[in-house]
Amino acid sequence: MRTRKWSCFVFAMTVLVVGGAVNCGWSLTEDERNNIEIYERVAPGVVNISSTVLEHDFFFNIVPRQGAGSGSIIDPRGYILTNHHVIEDATKLEVTLANGKKYGAKLIGSDPDVDLAVLKIEAKRQELTIIPMGSSESLKVGQKAIAIGNPFGLGQTLTTGVISSVGRTIRSSNGALVDAIIQTDASINPGNSGGPLLDSSGKMIGITTAIFSPTGASVGIGFAIPVDTAKRVLTDLIEKGYYAYPWLGATLMTLTPDLAEALKLSVKSGAMVVETVDGGPLDRAGVKGGRSRAQIGNNIILVGGDIIVRVDGEAVSDADSVIRRIRRMRVGDRVSMEVVHWEGGTKNVTVTLGERPKDFRHRGEQPRGFPRRR
Amino acid sequence: MDEALRQNLQSRKLILFSLIVAFGSVIGGVQGRCLTADEEATIWLYESVAPSVVNITTSACDPEFFFCSTPTESGSGSGIVLKEEGIIVTNRHVVANAEFIQVTLSDGRKKRGDVVASSVRDDMAIVRIDPGDSPLKPITLGNSEQLQVGEKVLAIGNPFGIGQTLSAGVVSMTGRSIRSGGLVLKDLIQTSAAINPGNSGGALVNSKGELIGMNTAILSPTGTNVGIGFAIPVNRIKSVTPGLMNRWGTWLGWLLAGLIAYWCVRRILQT
Repeated sequence: MRTRKWSCFVFAMTVLVVGGAVNCGWSLTEDERNNIEIYERVAPGVVNISSTVLEHDFFFNIVPRQGAGSGSIIDPRGYILTNHHVIEDATKLEVTLANGKKYGAKLIGSDPDVDLAVLKIEAKRQELTIIPMGSSESLKVGQKAIAIGNPFGLGQTLTTGVISSVGRTIRSSNGALVDAIIQTDASINPGNSGGPLLDSSGKMIGITTAIFSPTGASVGIGFAIPVDTAKRVLTDLIEKGYYAYPWLGATLMTLTPDLAEALKLSVKSGAMVVETVDGGPLDRAGVKGGRSRAQIGNNIILVGGDIIVRVDGEAVSDADSVIRRIRRMRVGDRVSMEVVHWEGGTKNVTVTLGERPKDFRHRGEQPRGFPRRR
Repeated sequence: MDEALRQNLQSRKLILFSLIVAFGSVIGGVQGRCLTADEEATIWLYESVAPSVVNITTSACDPEFFFCSTPTESGSGSGIVLKEEGIIVTNRHVVANAEFIQVTLSDGRKKRGDVVASSVRDDMAIVRIDPGDSPLKPITLGNSEQLQVGEKVLAIGNPFGIGQTLSAGVVSMTGRSIRSGGLVLKDLIQTSAAINPGNSGGALVNSKGELIGMNTAILSPTGTNVGIGFAIPVNRIKSVTPGLMNRWGTWLGWLLAGLIAYWCVRRILQT
């Protein structure tokens, strides 16, 4: 009899637990409850950032201009992750927490290439809600994406959508390669920049950044920088104020099959070294840059340099894939490369990656001080 | 059987059952924390439908510039695979005036396409490609008669030519008629899924992964998505495409007309 009673008790509890999970008193769908729960949990960790930029008008009078963006609290010490373009050139930064409290913020570090920056505010620990970081590695097209931000400076706003594509490569405003970008159809408008893109468990998967829009407002195509990229640069940004990019010290160019045929080369594709920096990592490893000019079509290019065909044993077919591979490494790492000489014959070299100089500029990058679209 | 033993057995069965149910719910709960059921379904849908949607890039030529010596890239759109031997349906306005049509499959393969038939009135065109050694995956056709407002839909296409993109929304209305570029399109599906220039000719699928429409037009003051997109219902595609692909009817018609004319002329000559 006792076993029976006990089993009845277990059964009743199970029914209660399962019943509670399946049918919860609300008349909201599972999806709605998920959105609400995430908003309530994460929204206190999303801040509004207002920046003041001093600009000169036509008569060289100094005119302050206000900008607005969003950011995520990522650390109990008060570190805030946002976009570089939100804080760029700002003379004064003010952070407003979700509870309305305002703090003056200090710029800790920023990186224009991946469009990320870290700010710090001096706030009490209990006022800071930390947004947990997830992983952007195994994202699937079709899964839910939730953006929280401050569109048009309106104040905190939640938008939802799905992940539209992953792994696209775009070029940021300064010509740098930003890879593995996340695309979503959640509405992302100016002012959302720097805010978190979350998955259905409330973890940060990206930092919403640019919108691809001919109209200046959301058309259902929004981009976010993957959180894995942020994790990679974060420690350096906090400790040094900048991210030490691994550097080859060379200008590379994609060798297309057409070009290879025109130049009568023995290889079909690879990354051609156009020029090397004296004393740079590739130069020290004995890789040669171009020596003579050749006209192909309408372009004049430096030819005669070595062609990189393998990096760490894996074949590379273009310059971007070499850059992407190097990007994932750290300064001081050793890379083995297989290069093909212009005259023929291959050579294996080991390159020790250097640190990219601070005054480095991408091809086509505008000089600083030039008015930029925000 | 002994009464006590039976009771004992029964209660054990009950405990076992309860444990299984509890275990199941815990497993379900754990999985649900990673991705919700809705997300799992959407991911599965995208993965099963995406291979049937292609990107179309068209080049036109400028006859004033060295007699068409350099075709310029002029437009981008999307297309839906109807038959595995390379029959693709798209919008006529995507391939109209195109000199050269390049079809990019979802696995990245690029093929040259030819317009085999088109209908101005329905804004529909059939493009044929040579699928090579591996056949294409045709899309499953649904029924647009049974569509209900509020039903979830997914749009797959190539907006602004940036590459394959998924956007989600609901059916906003059915049976809409709009005027688009001097053409009246009737009985369209209106959707809130983001549709932009370049999505034209792409697939609109329901939550079962069946094609219910072909994204065709948008209503917008800016020329980009504002949340009002239109799709040609799949039932129209089903009724129009066989006629477009089947040229025998046309040949037979001409043959008949020729015979009648011959007969008339003979009668006239006889009299």
